[in-house]
Amino acid sequence: MMHFYRHVLPGIFVVLFSLVFFPFHLTAAESGEYIAIRKAGSGNIALVLNKLDANGRKETGFAQGLDTIIHDGLDFTKLFSMISPPLNVRDNSNRKNVVINFGALNSVGAEVYAGGVVTIKSGLVTLDMEVYETAGAKLLLRKTYTGKEGGLRSIGHAFCADLVELLTGKKSVFGSKVVFVSNKSGSKEIYQCDFDGYGLEQVTNSRSISMNPALSPDGKHLAYIDFTTGRPTLYIRSLADRKVASVGKSSVSIDPEWRNSSEVAATLSLNGDPEIYLIKTDGTISRRLTNSKGIDISPSFSPDGSKMVFVSSRNGLPQIFIQDMQSGQTKRLTFSGRYNTQPSWSPAGDKIVYTTWENSGEINIFTINADGSGLAQLTRKSGENKSPSWSPDGGMIVFTSNRKGKEKMYVMNSNGDNQRNLLQGDGEQTQPSWSLFR
Amino acid sequence: MKTMKPLLRSLIIPSMLFLGACCCGKETVVAPPPPPPPPVVLPGLGDVFYDFDKSDLRAEAIEQLKTNANWIQANTASNVLIEGHCDERGTSEYNLALGDRRANSAKDYIVNLGVAPARLKTVSYGEEKPFAAGSTEEAWAQNRRAHFVAQ
Repeated sequence: MMHFYRHVLPGIFVVLFSLVFFPFHLTAAESGEYIAIRKAGSGNIALVLNKLDANGRKETGFAQGLDTIIHDGLDFTKLFSMISPPLNVRDNSNRKNVVINFGALNSVGAEVYAGGVVTIKSGLVTLDMEVYETAGAKLLLRKTYTGKEGGLRSIGHAFCADLVELLTGKKSVFGSKVVFVSNKSGSKEIYQCDFDGYGLEQVTNSRSISMNPALSPDGKHLAYIDFTTGRPTLYIRSLADRKVASVGKSSVSIDPEWRNSSEVAATLSLNGDPEIYLIKTDGTISRRLTNSKGIDISPSFSPDGSKMVFVSSRNGLPQIFIQDMQSGQTKRLTFSGRYNTQPSWSPAGDKIVYTTWENSGEINIFTINADGSGLAQLTRKSGENKSPSWSPDGGMIVFTSNRKGKEKMYVMNSNGDNQRNLLQGDGEQTQPSWSLFR
Repeated sequence: MKTMKPLLRSLIIPSMLFLGACCCGKETVVAPPPPPPPPVVLPGLGDVFYDFDKSDLRAEAIEQLKTNANWIQANTASNVLIEGHCDERGTSEYNLALGDRRANSAKDYIVNLGVAPARLKTVSYGEEKPFAAGSTEEAWAQNRRAHFVAQ
């Protein structure tokens, strides 16, 4: 008994204190402090996610739905070690206040505790969440999330986003989209789904060949290649009004990527030699970026837009180069591997992911620092692994693999851990691109 | 189906020229200036093939392109589309660019032989429309080509 009170009583004081004095949100300084502590020990965050409270049949149903959504959402990030709540995690006997037993949480090794209550207010599902750091019984987040009955995923993921951003200091995957190509209808069309494979939607229906989709950083435009006119043409579709601009109809267009929300870069073969151009969202060409004999394709930009990584065959087989946008100065990045393509610059700006077609016939995914150091192999002995694209936070990579037969989308941590299939379904899935926006 | 039209044309048009030359005798001949010896059936448009990752022209490709140039010069009513194709290996964006290089290397050679550039169009299908199915060296060799289509 004494033992129990020694652990619970300080917890009660902290909770009551925080109810009175803490604002709804944690201040930046406080979250920064927590992130700094986290970085010292870099493993997964030990999290106790307590079952949500609810009174009433409907509320209980929503709470169970949200439990699953939040659990699966946080699990998808692979940032957490989920610890089952200890049986005595809370003492509800004492008045209306929820008493969290931080002693019990600490003894099971939890670093962070999250719990909450589901109610229905004015017809809206209302989720009141609280997050504590267990060591100091310190409130990290208290926030209310509301939405319609049909929007449980958005409600749950809004909390997941706040939690991840609070604990890592980075943008989360929640709310982001993946655009990709599938031939399941019989022709290659563009589709999109949520970051976790939910909510599949068909985007194009040209019954021709559609390829290489890329969403603008603000999510307002989709750039892609389509063969409807008989030749691969770049299209820039405004997603709000579905207006489409096309570029280089008399040429061959290849592999667009956004530099920022108003400029896309793509290869056009205007004079019989594929060169990279910068193009505005209305389809007008603003300038030519490369000038070399041979193939120049697959641009991707540093987060500030000042540098471009791309593929060039100027030295023979394709290798990856970096070009300074202002000076035009170009240097070769990859010296390992005979055939290196599909570069993508990380959202943090430090790394570039790309693929190597190996002598064995495998295609593998590598990361390399933008200065050419720190080469790391992320896939091995798993067939052809292609088209890597970073999550908005840079913590994960979506790619395709034919490791189990047909080419399908997979996700992994940015260090290659936790490789797993993203989306089931018929046909092949190719050329995924993860949106930067949420 | 694609190869039907050029094939038919390649047979019919020269044979008509041949008949015309025989029947009309001293009358003026419409199409190209009468060749000194009795005209032979002009070979039709043919595809050319490439080495792995290359858009350079092989010796037999050059022979075929000369034949194609003659055909194009003889068939002034037709323009020609040159499609660049690749095998399935490597990555699709690079193959789309490589197909473009192949189509243009064939076009450039024919233009150098005197064919008006305006009569030649190029397109790349990369690895999207292979001719031969399968993942064998034979299939790959068939799929690394510039395909000539009379339009």
